[in-house]
Amino acid sequence: MHKEAAIREPLILGSPTYSDISDQVLHSIEHEPTKLWKVLMTIATIAALWGVGCILYLLGVGVGTWGLNNTVGWAWDITNFVWWVGIGHAGTLISAVLLLFRQKWRMAINRPAEAMTIFAVFMAGMFPMIHMGRIWMAYWVLPIPNQFGSLWVNFNSPLLWDVFAISTYLSVSLVFWYIGLIPDFGTIRDRATRPVQKLMYSLLSFGWTGNAKAWQRFEEVSLVLAGLCTPLVFSVHSIVSMDFATSVIPGWHTTIFPPYFVAGAVFSGFAMVQTLMLIVRKAMRLEHLVTIKHIEYMNLVIIVTGSIVGVAYLTELFISAYSGVEYESYAFLNRLSGPYWWSYAIMMTCNVISPHLFWSKKLRTNLAFTFVMSIVVNIGMWFERFVIIVTSVHRDYLPSSWSMFYPTWVDIGVFIGTLGIFSVFYLLFLKYFPVLAFNEVKSILKSSGEQYKNMTDEEFKKLHPVFKKDIK
Amino acid sequence: MANTKKYWKGLEQLDKGSEFVEASNNEFAEHLPVTEFLGDKENLDDASTTRRDFLKYLGFGVAAASLAACETPVTKAIPYLNKPEEITPGLANYYASTYYDGNDYAPILVKTREGRPIHIVGNTESTLTKGAINARVNSSVLSLYDSNRLKAPSIKGEDTTWATIDNRLGKELQGKKSVRVLTASVISPSSQSAINSFLNPSVEHYNAAGDPIGSENITIGKHVVVDAISYSGILEANNESFGKAIIPTYNFEKAKTIVSVGADFMGNWLDALQYVNDYAQTRKPDNDWMSKTFQFEASMSLSGTNADVRVPVKPSEYGAIISSLYAHLGGSGGAKTAYDARVKEAAEALKASKGESIVVCGSNDKNVQVIVNAINELLGNYGNTIDVNIVSNSKQGLDSEVAALIADMNAGKVDALLIHGVDPVFTMGAAFAKAMKKVKTTVSFATKMDDTAAACMYVCPSNHALESWSDANPVTGHYSLGQPTISPLFDTRQAEESLLRWSGDDSSYYDYIRRNWESEIPVSMGVFFTDFWNKTLHDGVVDVEMPVSELTTAFAGNVSKAVSAVKAIKGSGVELELVQNMAVGAGVGADNPWLQELPDPITKITWDNYATMSPSEMKEKGYEIHFGQEHEMNVIEVATKTGKIQLPVVAQPGQAKGTIGIALGYGKAVGNMEEVTGANAYPLVASTKNGVSYYVSGVSITDVELDEPYHIACTQTQQTVMGRDSVIRETTLETYKKGDKDAYNPAWTLLSGETETDEHGHQHQVRKGIKEFDLWGAHPVEGIGHRWGMSIDMNACIGCSACVTSCVSENNIAVIGKDQVRRGRIMHWMRIDRYYSSEHQPLGDIGETHAATKEALDINGISTYTAMEDAADNPSVVHQPMMCQHCNHAGCETVCPVAATTHSNEGLNMMAYNRCIGTRYCANNCAYKVRRFNWFNYIAYSKFTDFNPSQDDLGRMVLNPDVVVRSRGVMEKCSLCVQRIQEGKLDAKKAGTQVMDGAIQTACSSSCPTNAITFGDHNDEGSKLVAERNNDRAYRVIEEVGQQANVYYQTKVRNLKA
Repeated sequence: MHKEAAIREPLILGSPTYSDISDQVLHSIEHEPTKLWKVLMTIATIAALWGVGCILYLLGVGVGTWGLNNTVGWAWDITNFVWWVGIGHAGTLISAVLLLFRQKWRMAINRPAEAMTIFAVFMAGMFPMIHMGRIWMAYWVLPIPNQFGSLWVNFNSPLLWDVFAISTYLSVSLVFWYIGLIPDFGTIRDRATRPVQKLMYSLLSFGWTGNAKAWQRFEEVSLVLAGLCTPLVFSVHSIVSMDFATSVIPGWHTTIFPPYFVAGAVFSGFAMVQTLMLIVRKAMRLEHLVTIKHIEYMNLVIIVTGSIVGVAYLTELFISAYSGVEYESYAFLNRLSGPYWWSYAIMMTCNVISPHLFWSKKLRTNLAFTFVMSIVVNIGMWFERFVIIVTSVHRDYLPSSWSMFYPTWVDIGVFIGTLGIFSVFYLLFLKYFPVLAFNEVKSILKSSGEQYKNMTDEEFKKLHPVFKKDIK
Repeated sequence: MANTKKYWKGLEQLDKGSEFVEASNNEFAEHLPVTEFLGDKENLDDASTTRRDFLKYLGFGVAAASLAACETPVTKAIPYLNKPEEITPGLANYYASTYYDGNDYAPILVKTREGRPIHIVGNTESTLTKGAINARVNSSVLSLYDSNRLKAPSIKGEDTTWATIDNRLGKELQGKKSVRVLTASVISPSSQSAINSFLNPSVEHYNAAGDPIGSENITIGKHVVVDAISYSGILEANNESFGKAIIPTYNFEKAKTIVSVGADFMGNWLDALQYVNDYAQTRKPDNDWMSKTFQFEASMSLSGTNADVRVPVKPSEYGAIISSLYAHLGGSGGAKTAYDARVKEAAEALKASKGESIVVCGSNDKNVQVIVNAINELLGNYGNTIDVNIVSNSKQGLDSEVAALIADMNAGKVDALLIHGVDPVFTMGAAFAKAMKKVKTTVSFATKMDDTAAACMYVCPSNHALESWSDANPVTGHYSLGQPTISPLFDTRQAEESLLRWSGDDSSYYDYIRRNWESEIPVSMGVFFTDFWNKTLHDGVVDVEMPVSELTTAFAGNVSKAVSAVKAIKGSGVELELVQNMAVGAGVGADNPWLQELPDPITKITWDNYATMSPSEMKEKGYEIHFGQEHEMNVIEVATKTGKIQLPVVAQPGQAKGTIGIALGYGKAVGNMEEVTGANAYPLVASTKNGVSYYVSGVSITDVELDEPYHIACTQTQQTVMGRDSVIRETTLETYKKGDKDAYNPAWTLLSGETETDEHGHQHQVRKGIKEFDLWGAHPVEGIGHRWGMSIDMNACIGCSACVTSCVSENNIAVIGKDQVRRGRIMHWMRIDRYYSSEHQPLGDIGETHAATKEALDINGISTYTAMEDAADNPSVVHQPMMCQHCNHAGCETVCPVAATTHSNEGLNMMAYNRCIGTRYCANNCAYKVRRFNWFNYIAYSKFTDFNPSQDDLGRMVLNPDVVVRSRGVMEKCSLCVQRIQEGKLDAKKAGTQVMDGAIQTACSSSCPTNAITFGDHNDEGSKLVAERNNDRAYRVIEEVGQQANVYYQTKVRNLKA
């Protein structure tokens, strides 16, 4: 028997008209920045400048300004890298995978999520660069024909796979995001009154006409890019996980890593989208477009991915004991009970226990609680990477080399700096770019808008004599 | 039908109107109003600068600017005007020479490149040391290039010339009758002769007419010997026992049982360098017998770590233990001690090997040493393992004479004091400094402005040993020569030459030595002296049959008096034992950056002096027993009657309870550092009526609160091996002798997944050897060309760390200082891992280890692993040299994104610094953690200027030109001295032969005093390496992980019952 979906809750609340939606979304672009924006921008700029300063110091003096040592060759640098890449997963997942699955609720959040993705991947990409001893030779990781003799990159190295994975992911995500922006830029251009603004947005809109053919091509391109992006969502973090999985270090050498990392990435990405969206919808008064329902959907994704991550943790733990490999079992015992037990405890609490609070509908529809949870999950996911990287390598095979890692102010400064730079980018995005894909949102106004959902058939017929009311 | 249709864009084209044709011939469809656009057309046309000129100027300007910006710094290489015959640029020259610093004597070979000495190895021609050196010997090459050396003579701190000094001193010494020459023990016959002729000048007598009527030798003073570490007790005991104040020679090669009470005979006691190689020969489990060592001591010494049985006792009990040992052996010794079972065990072992044993004691108390002599006499060791006729000259200082000198000085009876080779103000402190003030003329021959030189009026800097001629007679019948390997770098003059000058002898010291040898040393019949001299100079050493005037054998010591004197020794309160460590010794290494950065073989601490204490006692006191990067150490003030110093206190498993140990020799500043490194412990040395004592009772310890937290720079913070028997394999001699390899060194097997059915019809998974499991295609190195590798015998390795500094010297390894070492960034390519056993998991038989680990895990789970981290109270110790294992399936090679580290076709894991971008993935993925990263630009960054020798022009002269100095941001690691391999291959090729086994030696293997490291070619079936690799003790560290290392280890075998 064919399954009929239940009547879904409306995705657009109130009774906005098409032009209302444009007005609301474009309010920030067409008006002077608010005081809140200025305050946030100031804080973010200070953090960003501090980070840039730390990075310049790092590059000027050497990687020794971090707390790394002979035993722990990676710590906060790669933790931050994986964390940011992980965050960068939600955007593409929302826009590509949910598009393929025709999830309409994605429309309200895909744009900000994708922006987050791109900026997060920027931040992520920076770490493998600045963590190098000789960043000025960074281009050697690219397979460029050269005159150094027969030198070529090492295709066995997962770090090289990373280079390809991250750069592909960044470029495809960027194109996908930009294609989505074109119709909206067109609208802004058409509404713009100031000449500079008009010029800029007309350049950005690539001569968008908005005719039916253009929309049809737009849909096709979106679909093709979504198809391209979907495998990337899974490949990128799988490959990042292979940085560890292909090594010999107990705690890193784990075949479960690719799916476990992807789930973790989606988990942390959605948490970050929550953090940002809860602020944006409030500050920009978009509550009727990004509704409680959206928040709840995302929380559901968090429960699912959080559970996957939890299962992965427990599997890892079980296998380490079951394997009978001395080093492997010690590595995990050490995570539990060694000097870094507290980071393992934070990771377990934040990532495995806390998401299950969302089983309660009351909690998962509570905005304040969701906001706190989104932060908690991201703290947990940062510690997950820290646990994997540092607590594995700090005590590996030969006990003589066992060591501890203590971050320096430069470690901390660079991390805070990336939060700052990310925020600056994001605030600029909020001010100058259409925050929501409002032209796409408009396409579901009639089908998923509250006002239309609550109309009787007669009322609808009166309004639209030609169409039938679509209750899906 | 052909399509003849033609389309026009417009009527103009059809018409071919002239206007259209003209326009289509133009490059641009419309007229470009360039000149109008630029403004005044006419002026522009008239301008002298045409467009072409403008472009010329622009091009020239850009080219000039970029050329100016690209100027490269000019470094000048100046060629020889007349090339010395023996120097070929790029090839090293080796010169035989002699090292003697007042404590250690070693015949050496000095490697020079383009006239610069850059590396020191032991001279294997020596029958005495057999090539043994320690870290201080090979690091002494760096002190040659110390820019803080004295560069010119000075009077009262004012630089002056040698002529002025000679002139003024000549006048001042005129007619003086009470001159004292204070030196360390003089083992050089020529030096002794120079001192004698200075002190006994011949005075010409003239008649009234002024004609010489003859000369007579007068005496103007005395020669006094003071050793930095006094062995007066032994000298006096032997004087009493045998009528001669001598140090006997010990033949450890013949000793089946060795009992040492507080004597670190493998480290710093007496002529340790002459003992270690012999001792190592007795530690081969495949031989007919293996020696057994008992060590009774307070602080953990190098000998203690290697002893089969180690008993922690207090220093005040040393005498009682010796005395009761004497009683157990049947002598009329003292009463039983608290350690009677162990003493009895030692006595039984000694009894079983009469005449083939050695008993030694580190005490400087004459009475204790008399009993030691009595024991050796009782055991019949004299004439067998101990020789009092062939004597060691290395220690001659008598405490009574030093005391007399100070008394004379204080009484104003000394006119002039000349000090050479010792720093008495440093070792004897204020008492000596005060006495020096009473002496009118004080002369120092120091090479650096040490504490004594600073207090002297005349400073006449002597040459560095590598700039000097010298000879030595360390042991009766053994002679060696030392030759300079570089011209004096500064305006210095060898002390002996100064003495000769002042005694009116204008000959050079070289001539003097030669003359001296010609007259003193008997040459075999039929050999010309010139030939003998040249051969000795080439070989560095020579053994000469010396006529022994009177043979001493009869022991005539008063044992009963000694026993009752020993009975009176009582310890009280906390007892302090003052020791020497392998890096700093008696002080010679205190200002040498390589030695300061050398981790102590036992504590693994660098750049510091500290008090060692038993960890369980420290726990009771609430002291920090761990010393990681951020652990805040407790600082204590140690006060004795003679002085007090502040030191951090560190946990030393095996330290006797109620005792602390402190190393002497620290307290000098390295390079341009403002503060001295480590506190000077000499003020704590006690002086008793029997002479100085390095054991002090009733020491008071008070906690010191510092404003800043105090940290320790330790290179190994985890003390135990955590039950990992594939890292360390050891067994007992009893098990080993049973010949069942599986009992102590089982081969690794893994379940293969294939099944087989046994005779009962049960299915089993087949276990297969590690080699069967291979993810990767093997490198084609087996049986093809060379495959370089190493084998390390953990039975022979005593942990002395000479290899570590040798590697530093050979491979230009950066000195990074205390702060960076503390942060776990030491650059050493090779390290010696030291593991203590824990209470929960004794290091022992592999079966035992396995069972203990399993049991511990099964029962206690997590808690036992944590408990295993702490060492036992009196642990057994293992030293494991660890460097790049040159894995055939290296983890590092697969993960480098730019292929900077690759496998050579000779089995080496290579590192291309220039290709490295510094991702550090290789270091993370190295299971042995032997890779080292250049976190900073150590050779230029100002943070390291004060102590990194490579940051000044002089210090850079020690660099090995065959090895690249690494810059910031690249990874480095042991290359198995690839430059030496390359050189060895080329040498063989030139000689038209195969590379002979043993012809190539790495820096570590060539410096190992016990030959624990064997370098060779795995593909050379006849090589020593292959023999070692194939023997039953051979294993590879964590072999089951599958890296297929090219470095093998030999299971450690202790002489114990299973």
